[in-house]
Parts: sequence; structure tokens; C-alpha cells
Amino acid sequence: MKKIIWLAAIALLLSGAPELPAQTGISREYQVKAVFLFNFAQFIAWPTNAFADPQTPMTIGVLGDDPFDSFLDETVRGEKVGEHPLVIQHYRRIEDVQGCQILFISRSEDGQTGRILAGLKDKNILTVGDSDGFIKDGGIVRFVMEENKIHFRINLEAAKSANLAISSKLLRLAEIVEPGSD
Amino acid sequence: MDLDVTSVSKQPEPYGQAPAAIQVITGEDIQRSGASSIPEALRLADNLDVAQKNSHDWAISARGFNTALGNKLLVLIDGRAVYTPLYSGVFWDVQDYLLEDIDRIEVVSGPGGTLWGANAVNGVINITTKSAKDTQGLYVEGGGGNWLQDFVGARYGGMLASNVYYRVYGKYFDRSSEVLSNGNSASDSWRMGQGGFRIDSEASPQNLLTLQGDFYLGDEKATTGDTRTGGGNVLGRWSHIFSDDSDMSLQLYYDRTHIAIPKPAVFLDAAGTLRDDLDTYDLDFQHHFSLGDRNRIIWGLGYRLTHDIVGEAPSVEFVPATLYQNLFSGFVQDEIKLHEKLFLTLGTKLEHNDYTGFEVEPSARIQWNATSKQMFWGAISRAVRTPSRIDHDLREPLGGPLPDLLDGGTNFTSETLIAYELGYRAELTKKISTSISAFYNDYENIRSSSTELPSSLLVFKNNLEGDTYGFEWSGDWQVLDWWRLHGGYDLLEEDIHVKPGKTDFSNGLNETADPQQQFSIRSSMDLPENVDLDATLRWVDTLHNNNGPNPGTVPSYFELDVRIGWHPTKNLEFSIVGQNLLHDQHAEYGFPGATTTEEIERSVYGKVAWRF
Repeated sequence: MKKIIWLAAIALLLSGAPELPAQTGISREYQVKAVFLFNFAQFIAWPTNAFADPQTPMTIGVLGDDPFDSFLDETVRGEKVGEHPLVIQHYRRIEDVQGCQILFISRSEDGQTGRILAGLKDKNILTVGDSDGFIKDGGIVRFVMEENKIHFRINLEAAKSANLAISSKLLRLAEIVEPGSD
Repeated sequence: MDLDVTSVSKQPEPYGQAPAAIQVITGEDIQRSGASSIPEALRLADNLDVAQKNSHDWAISARGFNTALGNKLLVLIDGRAVYTPLYSGVFWDVQDYLLEDIDRIEVVSGPGGTLWGANAVNGVINITTKSAKDTQGLYVEGGGGNWLQDFVGARYGGMLASNVYYRVYGKYFDRSSEVLSNGNSASDSWRMGQGGFRIDSEASPQNLLTLQGDFYLGDEKATTGDTRTGGGNVLGRWSHIFSDDSDMSLQLYYDRTHIAIPKPAVFLDAAGTLRDDLDTYDLDFQHHFSLGDRNRIIWGLGYRLTHDIVGEAPSVEFVPATLYQNLFSGFVQDEIKLHEKLFLTLGTKLEHNDYTGFEVEPSARIQWNATSKQMFWGAISRAVRTPSRIDHDLREPLGGPLPDLLDGGTNFTSETLIAYELGYRAELTKKISTSISAFYNDYENIRSSSTELPSSLLVFKNNLEGDTYGFEWSGDWQVLDWWRLHGGYDLLEEDIHVKPGKTDFSNGLNETADPQQQFSIRSSMDLPENVDLDATLRWVDTLHNNNGPNPGTVPSYFELDVRIGWHPTKNLEFSIVGQNLLHDQHAEYGFPGATTTEEIERSVYGKVAWRF
């Protein structure tokens, strides 16, 4: 089952329903980030050898506690990027990660992020996170909250090392940062 | 049923002769059911899916697409369209009238675009109030209960001059909150006051003049602040009779609505208020005449100007904030008597709107009066759902260099329907009548959303298509002189999917939220000692609601409404109404979760009514 919660958010707004207090399930912050991940999958090119064959699924992995609840699973189910069906995998340990193209590293892994990213170096995986220092630790894309606005930062060098080609449509929206930055 | 209906041909014809899937809710049906609001009254139409969302909101549709942003139903009150151009839906909380003075509600399921224009894709609801002549004298009502906490209403009708009748009315109510699924209050109590008038002049036998108007103010509580609603309208209509088979009417109305909804602070956004002010000016002309003895022709022209001002809330905008829109329309329809018992009706509407330009909605209907008691009909129609402001003008910015989260599509085009229908209506015996309608609806260009970087993370597009089919049955059985039964059943199969080669963020599931089956049984008894006893049992199938924060289903449910009325004298009536009696609370809509689903509680109210 899928849903477009912004539509629902508008609907709730327009139909005057009360905004109910913090509910079970995903927060709006992670709904927005999930839509970004969906867009990353479509505007980044992986090298051909990242997939066994053209119909191999494209996998978005979530390492650690899942802040997306089931939203990511619902969002991508049935979608395709080119010929590749889009699937979600959940991992508890870095050792379990294999065959994924995008890996979102949850804040629950804070403290180990450096070690995790070091182990993924030079694999063709887009690493995404929102922890402080994610870029410094070696991550490629980081979500940042600044002055009540959301930004995302891309470490272009790390992307190149991972052999990922990022579309200019995505690049122009990002803050391009140096490997040493936060 | 002896009633004349007007929604199918824009002129009165006997219900038994109307070649469409039409159901009629009479004023008396409304009184006997104990309905205390227009949405509750609409439950009496078997061809509608009516779901109560919370204390003040309802999701109402016909033949599918009953989402929170459902947009395929046209609703009119005395000829005045009552939908919001923000999303082509209806704010049911502000559609109200003194129910005593409603003459009838005609509900047509199926496309009505040819006569009624764009957005009458899946159905038309036509609410007509009684003429002032039929509401003379003083009427007062009052009462209260646990959900409908207290209410009062009054109307006085008199004569201004010979053949000139008027009425004035006022009403007010307080409704308390519904509940959350964990039993806590949903804190959505509300209240509304409304008043109005109507003047009908039959001063000259060839000229009928009507002037009417209403105004309302409402206040809806919520944990995040109060929503305020307000509005009013004034409408004038002139009907001129040229001869027995030729007449015309000219109608002009002005409608204003105001709504201010508080929006809480949420990720990235400060708190704010979303305001919408809408002014509508509408001029409508129609002329009906016979050509020879085989053709009855009706044609008309219309113009509507809407002036909408949306005051932005943080993270939700409509661009431009202020928008004037023009809608031009013309229609023509010819009912051709092919044969004594066979009629072919051909018609089309041509409209021009500011978003998509010209739209055409033709239809062909055939009607065969097999016997004086049985009628078969069939129809092929095209109907169109034109873009509304949310499809085209919505912007949900994220700020800075980032793309918008969700935008309306500047290339958003109309959704289209080709509908194929068949129906049968019969008086099987003196005591049993029935009607059945079957439909196959082929939809194109239904709303979807996809990525469109770098400007938008998501944009509305028209990448869904598919079909729905099903049938609607209803029947009446006068079991005994004093006991009548009515039954209704609907089946709906839906296959709405993403167009091959295209994408949709919601995978084709965002536009539908419908039960596959529904049925209801209504019993009406006139008991001795001036007592009436009415009961309605309804069953609604599981609802798969896909456009909300969590996926989910609303379980199927049975519910029962009962009314006991007692009129000890001609002028006085007492009644007790119990609604949703079978469960302490149940859900009809929404998304599962301890705090996120609103449910509807069992409720009771008592009412006293004086008619002088």
C-alpha cells in the first residue's frame, strides 16, 4: 500500500481535521528525507557492474534503527528505476550489507559511523546520513538542519571514488562540500 | 414513486421515466430517518458511499474515488454549486439547511457532465428546498443529545402580497467531539449558526420569480486552534412560460465562503493559518421547447466568475494567491421520440475554462418503456474533471535552493471518463418496485505524482488510468399498509493503475478509498397511537485507504440508526433518534493507529417540533 502523505497533510488541513499529537510512525522530517532518497535513486547513475544484470533490483538499505517506519517500504514498492525494481533492505550490522546501491546510515549507529564508512569505501554505494560529522567520517550525502531549513550536502570526491555519476539536476540543489567538512 | 425529477434532463419528468441511475430522498424520508444534517440525509441514497470522518467532516462519493481529496461529485443546492475550487471537493461541514424545509435530494450516480458540466464525473447531488408557498406558518424545533448536544431552529412563512410568499429561518447547533480509537476525546467539537430567507412570486401566471439567500458562521475546535468558517449567498431566478411546451429560466447567484484553518508547527514550518476566501458569481440561462411532436429540446448558456484568495500558511501555498477564473459553458440536448415507447436523447456540453480551454461532454441515452411499469435504459457519456487549484497552483516549498516538496503541475490536464451504463426500473407489483443500474467506467489521465527535479521533488501529473465497474440495486416493498421496507446494495470493482511506462509515487493507490460492497435495509412503520418507528441497518465493506500516513484498512462494519416519533396532535411531534447504535464507537474512514484514527460514537438525541 502506498500513500502520499503530503496530499493527506493538505487534505487534513483543508478539511479542518485536528492535527493529532505525535503519533506512532514516521515523522514529517523522515517523510521528506524518504522522498529525497526516492529522487536520489533516479538522478544518480551507478556503474554497470554494480548490477548482476539489467533486471537486478536496485536496493536502498537502512542500517540501524529505522526512522522511516514502513514509509520507505511503501514508497518504493512496485517502483522501478530504469529496468531495476526498487527494493528496501534493513540491516543491523555493517557485515550484513551487500548488494545495495544506496545505504542510509541511521543515527543509532553514531560513534561507529567512521568505521562503517571506512568499510564501504570504494564500493559503489551512495552513503546517506544525517549525523553530525557524516561527511568528515567519509559519507557522500548528508542531510543538515539549519535555521529551520533542510539542506543536503554532497561530497563530490567521495562520490567519484565510489564511481557514482550524479546528475546536474541534483547537484545544483546540493551544497557541494570538501572531504574534510562536517 | 410518483415524483417528478429534474436532475436527469433539467426538466421535470416522472422518476419512473428518468433514464439514469437516480435515487430520490424525499423530505419525508429525511424526517423519518432522524437525519440531523445533510450528510446524514445522504446516507439514504443507496448509490452513494457516505463515510463520517470525525465530528464535522464527511467523505462522500459515488462509484469510487472517495479519498480525502475526492473531486468527482457535483453538488448543488437550489441550483447553486457548492464545491471548492481549491480541490473540487465539498466542505460538508458548511452545507446545511433547515431540514424541515428541504423538498428533496436527487442523487444521480454516473456522469452528468452533459447537463451539469465539468466535475459531475461520478455523480450529481441536487438538493432542492421547498418553495415559500409550501412553508407557510411557524415551525419551531429544538432538542439535544450526547453528540448533537443542543439545537434549535425556527421558520416563519407568510405572504408579502397576493401570490407572493416568503419565509425566513434560523438555526443553531452545538456538536460535541467524536473520539479517537483509544477512546479519548478527539477534541473536535463545533457549532454553527445559519439563517436565510426565500421569496417566491407567482404574481403573473407566466412568470415565476424566486429570491433566496442564506448566511452562516461556524467555529470548529481542535487541539491546534479553532477553525472559523463563514459565508453566505444570494440567488435569484426568473422562469418564464411561453406556452405549454416552451419555457425558459434565468438564474443569477453570488456566493461567498471564508475559511481559516490553523496549522500547527511541524518539521520545517512555523505555525500559521491557512485562509481561503472565495467569491462566486454565476449566471445561467436555459430554454426548453418542443420541435414538432418528436423532439423536446433544451439548451442553455452559462458564465461563472470565481475570485479566490488563499492566504498562505507556512509550507503550503497556492500560486497565484489571488486568482480570477472564468468559466463559459453552453449545452444542448434533444430528446427524440423514435417510437411510442422508445426515446433517444442526444446532447452535449461545451465549456471553456482557464486551465485547459475547451472541454466537450457529449452523451447519448436510450430509453425503452417496455410496459407502463417497466423501463430499460442505456447510456454512453463522456465526462471531464477539470483541474482545480491544488492540481495546478499548489506549492509546498522547502526553502533555500531546494526543490519544492510537492507542486501542482502547470501541464496538469483534465481527467476524463467514458461511461457505459445500463439500467432497469420497474414496478414489479403494486407493492414492490425495484431499480438496478450497471456501469463500466473507463478513466484516463487520473492524477498521479512523479519527480521533476530540479524544480520539484514531486509534481502532480496525469499518469493513472484504468476502469471501474459495478452495479447498484435498490428496492421498495410495501409489506403492509403501515410497514414499508427499502433495501439497497452496491458493488464496485476498481482497477486504477499507472500508465505503462510511466511512474507514480503512490503506485496508483492515491486516488481511491472505497468499499467494494455496501448494503442497507430500512424499515418504516406507522404504528397505532400516532407513533412512527424507523430503523436503518447498514453494512459497509472493508475500506482500503491508501493516501495517509500509514497504509491500512478500515474494517467492515454493521451499524444501526433508529427513530421513534410520536405526534400526539397534528402540530406537535416528539422524537428520539439513536444513531450508530451497534458499537460504542467504530471507524468509517481514516488510518489505523492508536491515536490517529477518529471513530464515531454511539449517539442519541431527542427532538420536539411544533408546526403551526
